[in-house]
Amino acid sequence: MRPAIARTAHGLLNWRSLRWKIAALVAVACCAVALALGVLVHQSTSERSMSLGRDRAFSELLVVVDDYRRTGRTPAYADPAEIPPVLLQQARSTGQYITWYDDRRPDIPWMWAVQSVGGQALAVKIDMGPEMRSLRALDRHIVMASLAVLAVVVPLGALAAELPNRRLRRVARTARRIADGDLEARSMVGGRGGDEISDISATVDSMADSLRDRLLSEQRFTADVAHELRTPLMGLVISAELLPESEATELVRDRVRVLRTLVEDLLEISRLDAGVERADRVLVPLGRFVEESVGRTGLQVQLTVTGDPVADTDPRRLDRIIANLVANAHRHGRSPVEITVNDTAIVVRDHGPGFPDELLADGPQRFRTGAAGRGRGHGLGLIIALGQAQVIGAGLAFANAPDGGAIATLHLRGDISSEADTSLMLPKDC
Amino acid sequence: MSVSDIGSRPSAPVTVLLVEDDEVIRKTVEMALERYGYRVSTAGDGLTGLELFREQRHDVLLLDVMLPGLDGIGLCRKIRESSMDPILMMSARGDALDVVSGLEAGADDYVVKPVDTSVLVARIRSLLRRASFAPGPERTPEPAAGGATDLVFGDLTIDPQGLEVHRAGEPVALAPTELRLLLEFAANPGIVLDRQTLLRNVWDYGWDGDSRVVDLCVQRLRKKIGPDRIETVRGFGYKLRR
Repeated sequence: MRPAIARTAHGLLNWRSLRWKIAALVAVACCAVALALGVLVHQSTSERSMSLGRDRAFSELLVVVDDYRRTGRTPAYADPAEIPPVLLQQARSTGQYITWYDDRRPDIPWMWAVQSVGGQALAVKIDMGPEMRSLRALDRHIVMASLAVLAVVVPLGALAAELPNRRLRRVARTARRIADGDLEARSMVGGRGGDEISDISATVDSMADSLRDRLLSEQRFTADVAHELRTPLMGLVISAELLPESEATELVRDRVRVLRTLVEDLLEISRLDAGVERADRVLVPLGRFVEESVGRTGLQVQLTVTGDPVADTDPRRLDRIIANLVANAHRHGRSPVEITVNDTAIVVRDHGPGFPDELLADGPQRFRTGAAGRGRGHGLGLIIALGQAQVIGAGLAFANAPDGGAIATLHLRGDISSEADTSLMLPKDC
Repeated sequence: MSVSDIGSRPSAPVTVLLVEDDEVIRKTVEMALERYGYRVSTAGDGLTGLELFREQRHDVLLLDVMLPGLDGIGLCRKIRESSMDPILMMSARGDALDVVSGLEAGADDYVVKPVDTSVLVARIRSLLRRASFAPGPERTPEPAAGGATDLVFGDLTIDPQGLEVHRAGEPVALAPTELRLLLEFAANPGIVLDRQTLLRNVWDYGWDGDSRVVDLCVQRLRKKIGPDRIETVRGFGYKLRR
């Protein structure tokens, strides 16, 4: 339950999530529309109030001019000296009236009108404060309305994004399960009139189908090959045991043993190649396990264990890896062979000439045993070790020590996976 | 698993029924087992094998998985309908499906071909020990110290002396391996037993045992004695609920 909540919280907080991207897109679109409309409304309202102001100033000026012509009085409230001289000059030269929006003090704007009558400049001014304030109020309202719309639309957008999001997540989950080996997993999102998500879901499903078919046929093939090879081999093994003891019998038995190892190794590689192998994980106390595993090889090894490490791994495969690494160190390197277990890293080192350069560069290759004639290996041991390491999710690295000798390092998973005991063939609860 | 004890032949020869379609394997295994003192009857296909099984008693059944006609798994299932004789399956494919379906059908153990005579004989001996229940040197029935006291776990009653198991008063028919496994659990009630321990104590495996053998036998046992009696402890093993 807990991990589910943590996952949901993580999903919600993940700012890269498509949900937030869509919400951000909606917000940006809303803001752009609001800005454009706001600017337009602001502009036209301000133009209208300007032209109204001009009209009012002009009619006021007409009254003042008329009054001046009749009585010679100039208005006291508007001093033409406040008007910029350039405008005054212009008014004088043309004899036409001129308006000027005076916003030298932004919170008390005026609309001036000025006309020169017989050399006397007559000016009037109209208070534009109310217009300006109503324009500001309008701006505020536009901003507030936009914010209100955003507050509704962005969550709606995020919610609407949740639907395709959920389907996408399901597809991703399915793909992950397939990658983890559950070949029966299908997303089955479908529906919704064949949009892109249905497309990708169908593609994932059909990919899983063909993957499963291919794996099954590979599995069947390797099983058939195994059957065809092992059946005569078993006859050979038992017949060889029935032969009367002699030098020739020993030769035959030895060759049968070699053939048997080779067949088993090749079958193991083909199973690893087919990708049908699954780890059967349990918690393994590494110190004791490596000691026992080394003991079974019957080879001389100096073992050092630091601490009391425990790994979540498949013991049979781990045993195979250790046995192959130790056998390889003895076959191609020189004693002493040392194994160091430190936390969940197992290091196998010998004091021979080290791994050949091609191996370090390209990894182990089949049937390449380094120098020809040394040892009797067929060059499959490291391939198998590498393949089994992949199955148990461990890393296997090859290097040479500066003072000579080959070093193979196996990094195991230390954490306790929630999917312990996974196996394709077994129900989860056994 | 040594080859050296050819001398210690059982007094009455142990009879083995070998069902195997490959002629060479059939012949050589027969010869090899006879050297160890077993009496072997052979069949080349499943139906003949079934006839032979019905005609006479055998101590151990050795079945190949891939057989013409009735295959080894079908044969194993048919035999289990009427008998709890120890069954050892031989698989040449060795893939999970073969192994699992063989064990699910009721086989006690399996080997993957090619197999040495010594290994085959060791497995057969282990099966016979389970079937005869001569307590091994490492196994003394600790819980029933006083003698014939029955062990009771919920509705489950185990008589470790008479080797009978009852569930809610009804007798439960258990194959030798299932009985031996249940006794192992009953000797350690409430204690988690890991697969390696069970493989060692019940199957006499050294180190290379396949833990699926344990898993599938536990599953079969659960079907017979109730699903909750044996608990899975993830990542460790199993324990018997008191």
